[in-house]
Amino acid sequence: METHLRSLRLFGQNLQAFFSQLKKHPSAWLGGIVILLYVAMAIIAPLLAPHSPIGTDLQLRLIPPFWQDGGTWSHFFGTDVLGMDLLSRIIYGARISLLIGFLAVGISVLIGVVLGMLAGYFRGFFDEIISRFAELLMAFPFLIFAIGIMAVLGPGFGNLLLALTFKGWVEFFRLVRGEMMVEKTKEYVEAATALGVSHLRIIISEILPNVVHSILVLGTLRLGYMIIMEASLSFLGLGIQPPTPAWGSMISAGRDYMMTAWWISTIPGIALLILVLSINLFGEGLRDVSDPRLKRG
Amino acid sequence: MNKKTLKVTAILLVLGMIMLTGCGTKAASVEKPAATTLNGQNVDPNATITVGLSASVLTLDPANHRDRNTETVIRNMFDGLVTRTVDGKIVPEIAESWKLNSPTVWEFKIRKGITFHDGSPLTADDVQFTFERILKEGALGNNLSSPRKGLLGPVTSVVKVDDFTVQFNLSSPWPIMEQMLPHQQIVPKAYVEKVGSEEFAKKPIGAGPFKFVEGKLDERIVMERYDKYYGGSPDLKPVGLAQAKTVIFEVIPETSTRLASLMSGQIQISQKVPADMIDKVKADNNLLIKSAEGTTVTMFQMNLKQKPFDNVKVRQAMNYAVNIQQIVDTALGGNAVRLAGPVLATSFAVNKDLKPYPYDTAKAKQLLSEAGYPNGFALVIDTEADLKTIAEAAAADLQKVGINATVRIWDWGVLKPLLLKGERSMALTTFGNSTQDPSDFLEPTLKAGGGGNYSHYANPEAATLIDQAKISLVESERKDLYVKAQAIIYNEAPWVFGYAMKQTEASSKKIVNWESSMDSRINLHDVGILAK
Amino acid sequence: MRAVKIVERVLATIPIMIGVAILVFLFMRFTPGDPVDLMMGKDGNVSAQEVATLRAQFNLDEPIYVQLFDYLHKASQGDLGLSFKKNRPVIELVKEALPATVELSLVAVVISLFIAIPIGVYSAVKQNSLIDRASMGISFLGVSMPAFWLGIVLILIFSVKLGISPAQGRIDYGVGLDKVTGFYLLDSILTGNFQAFKSTLSHLLLPAITLGATLAAIVTRVVRSSMLEVLRQDYIVMARAKGMSEFKVVVKHALRNALIPTVTVVGLEIGVLLGGNMIVETVFGWPGLGRIAVEAIFNRDYPLVQGVVMFYAIVFVMANLIVDILYTYINPKISI
Repeated sequence: METHLRSLRLFGQNLQAFFSQLKKHPSAWLGGIVILLYVAMAIIAPLLAPHSPIGTDLQLRLIPPFWQDGGTWSHFFGTDVLGMDLLSRIIYGARISLLIGFLAVGISVLIGVVLGMLAGYFRGFFDEIISRFAELLMAFPFLIFAIGIMAVLGPGFGNLLLALTFKGWVEFFRLVRGEMMVEKTKEYVEAATALGVSHLRIIISEILPNVVHSILVLGTLRLGYMIIMEASLSFLGLGIQPPTPAWGSMISAGRDYMMTAWWISTIPGIALLILVLSINLFGEGLRDVSDPRLKRG
Repeated sequence: MNKKTLKVTAILLVLGMIMLTGCGTKAASVEKPAATTLNGQNVDPNATITVGLSASVLTLDPANHRDRNTETVIRNMFDGLVTRTVDGKIVPEIAESWKLNSPTVWEFKIRKGITFHDGSPLTADDVQFTFERILKEGALGNNLSSPRKGLLGPVTSVVKVDDFTVQFNLSSPWPIMEQMLPHQQIVPKAYVEKVGSEEFAKKPIGAGPFKFVEGKLDERIVMERYDKYYGGSPDLKPVGLAQAKTVIFEVIPETSTRLASLMSGQIQISQKVPADMIDKVKADNNLLIKSAEGTTVTMFQMNLKQKPFDNVKVRQAMNYAVNIQQIVDTALGGNAVRLAGPVLATSFAVNKDLKPYPYDTAKAKQLLSEAGYPNGFALVIDTEADLKTIAEAAAADLQKVGINATVRIWDWGVLKPLLLKGERSMALTTFGNSTQDPSDFLEPTLKAGGGGNYSHYANPEAATLIDQAKISLVESERKDLYVKAQAIIYNEAPWVFGYAMKQTEASSKKIVNWESSMDSRINLHDVGILAK
Repeated sequence: MRAVKIVERVLATIPIMIGVAILVFLFMRFTPGDPVDLMMGKDGNVSAQEVATLRAQFNLDEPIYVQLFDYLHKASQGDLGLSFKKNRPVIELVKEALPATVELSLVAVVISLFIAIPIGVYSAVKQNSLIDRASMGISFLGVSMPAFWLGIVLILIFSVKLGISPAQGRIDYGVGLDKVTGFYLLDSILTGNFQAFKSTLSHLLLPAITLGATLAAIVTRVVRSSMLEVLRQDYIVMARAKGMSEFKVVVKHALRNALIPTVTVVGLEIGVLLGGNMIVETVFGWPGLGRIAVEAIFNRDYPLVQGVVMFYAIVFVMANLIVDILYTYINPKISI
């Protein structure tokens, strides 16, 4: 019990120190605020959206945004090929994009950290197998795998996550495994081992709190990447099933209309750009204040 | 052409001339031939026409593919016994004339004086060899067989009668023989036997208007005018050598990129213009939209093996509930032709008495109630990415009559086996009918066991009619049979009858004498570019 | 010593390659969809007998383990089989497409390094200046949007609106380039064909920028942060104290050391770059491996997918190997 409390406190202290340093970083703050705004938008989407995000009306198709000729205030950002309101779709789309980003990173972290800790701590045969497998995955072109998964299981939310995390965990695995090998040789671990503390407890309550900010930094930077990947996979026809609003599939579906109805693809593109930019600014701030070793990327 | 565009064209022409004379020092040192006249316009005999293709070309061997796009390219280097006009009529090409000796024996007379690009004359031996290569297993070398055999239906052998006569022997009468023959192109026997099929595909030699220069199949294929061409079909004017000196097929799969290339002048003809781009192209002073009635049918197939579509009332209700006319008018911008039943509106055998199911939600609801589904049911419409918009529009219509319809996008390779196994309930899909004859359309799509029969429709009466029409050689009799079959199918409504998408392409205004072809091929023999 | 290590590393890639070969083979076979069925298209009658003939000719009627053994056996002799749909040897198809992909990737890397390194260095030297902040902000744009979107926007601006850059393809027809190596830039230099060089370059620019944007953004930041770290080190302070010119300090002493992490990042990003190729090549109609791969997967062209994946894997493994070897030259203290 006591050790649990202690490790929790250690976690807390580390994070607190971390965020207090972050205060000195204006761009990171800005990024953080924008992310929070997006999260808030996603949560209260039903209150914000003026229309149903999936309400089609062919009579209202391809209305331009309000500031262009033919635009109306009731469809602020215009409508798409099926007459769905773009603003409402963008607002609801934040849910999918953020959810995909957070879940894909979350699952990758979970797998990568657990395997990385075990491999880095115990080494041996297990480490050898997992490391080889990770190398194999790195050499296997990601998109080919993603296309294959989508072909087998069909496009959709869960399968998209599967495709994104299939290789996503490898980076976290490598990071944690490396940190683990370093930390393991440090005095506090040796002391704990000498005292007869179990391996699991050492890993969780001694080492993990010390590698948590490295994971946080990498996780933040990967978050933006995952959100972009959703769009890229949509481009290859592997996104979210319609009519669910997701930015990636909106950008991708609108690309054929770039010359006639630029807003269908461009406005969700800008929404995505701002979010990912903010995530990256925030992540970079985190990186700056964290362990200097990480600066090498 | 209105006054404004005329003016702009005139200005462009003048500008072009100034530019030509301005930077003409290099051009002037080369020979400067007089322009030739085509359709009353001066065309440049040294012109290069560049076409943007929407997909890679698979091979340059006419016997070794099953792909319309590949055939489009090959058709410019190879001629067939017969060919089609842009609206799908059969006209002679290499064959001068033909006749039916008996219901299962056709005799073709071959035009004299035709040469292949290597100068060797084309004779009955080449024709016989061409068809043997397709019919015999393993005839392509390396134990490979031609994937085009199925396109020859009941043809069992092709034999030479004399140097300029061949005879086709069939196992049963085949009324669509003439319509199917444009799909086969004649190859030179001596050359293919000498170099082998593999080498032949790399350096193809045909008897068509253009000869192969160079090319990578995923990138660009270049051809040049063949100067000893016999002139092509006498029914396709002008007869003679090709109008342009060089033609290039560029592979540009991404639609927006292909149209951007057209607008920036990199290419002069673009395949496949999506409906929503048509207005944009029309607004461009340098471009024209070309369209023809299409031969690909789009329909919603309902699985009769499963509830609720085992009930004919439900299927009829679906036809009342989906507003196909609105989809055609808005989502497709009017670039499609609505079909009342399964058969193309341009087919000789279309049943003109059938009127499309009207959009009537009340009637749909009533039929659903009668069938025992007063509150509708849940439905997933399966389709491919290309048809996503249409499926979504239909789903929205179905929701209005209480059917909880959603759309699922699949990779076709995955979906097709599931459809054939009868595991899905409704699929929005397409099926091609380039012959415009119901024979090779109704059989695969609406007869038990057909490769495209995803509704698992098996009406014995309709099947008998289709079978009879398949072997009859009397057109009026065939028409009667198909008209009857269509009436049955219409009432039983295994599909939500859809539409035939128009064949829409775009070209530069400099292109002279080119029209979109119903079967989607782009034949450049008679096409020129305005002289500068 | 170094040579022995390099040989060791090369040998160590063999099991990875075998693993990749088996993985992609099984992966394709368990993906639903029948290659022969897809080959026959969606029109007209296709007889069952016709399909059976084609299946047999592609060996698809054999049990999977027989097919796998057959494939590995032939692959070990350098025979990757015939593409189902294109009916040509896979090796030949890959050979034809590989130079296009490699040329595009290399130019993308070169462009991004040329932009990223000076900006990164300058930002580090003028830390927290307006230029630093602005260039850091802009560099984030590169990693904050999907490549296909950037590509289409670039085409719309530079090809359609301004008409100064071709939207697709590798080279104009008629510039008369003799193909020596298949790398058009190199070929045009070798044959002294200036027109071809110009044409190739103008075709390369937009796709290379699209492909390189992410890399440029990442490299800028890595160079900046490692320069910042290096500039604080004692020996730099010493060099400055000795009165060495600032330019010499920055470029000669600091940059050399700051490049080590840059090389690592470039090496690691090669894999991402290759993945990005598939999308950029599709957008720009670039006739490379990526586009072939995408088509081949949707066609279930097993041998072609297998072949392309093998080549991707080789390039990836080789890129990592070269990075490791480069290390030892930049910093002789590191052993492979």
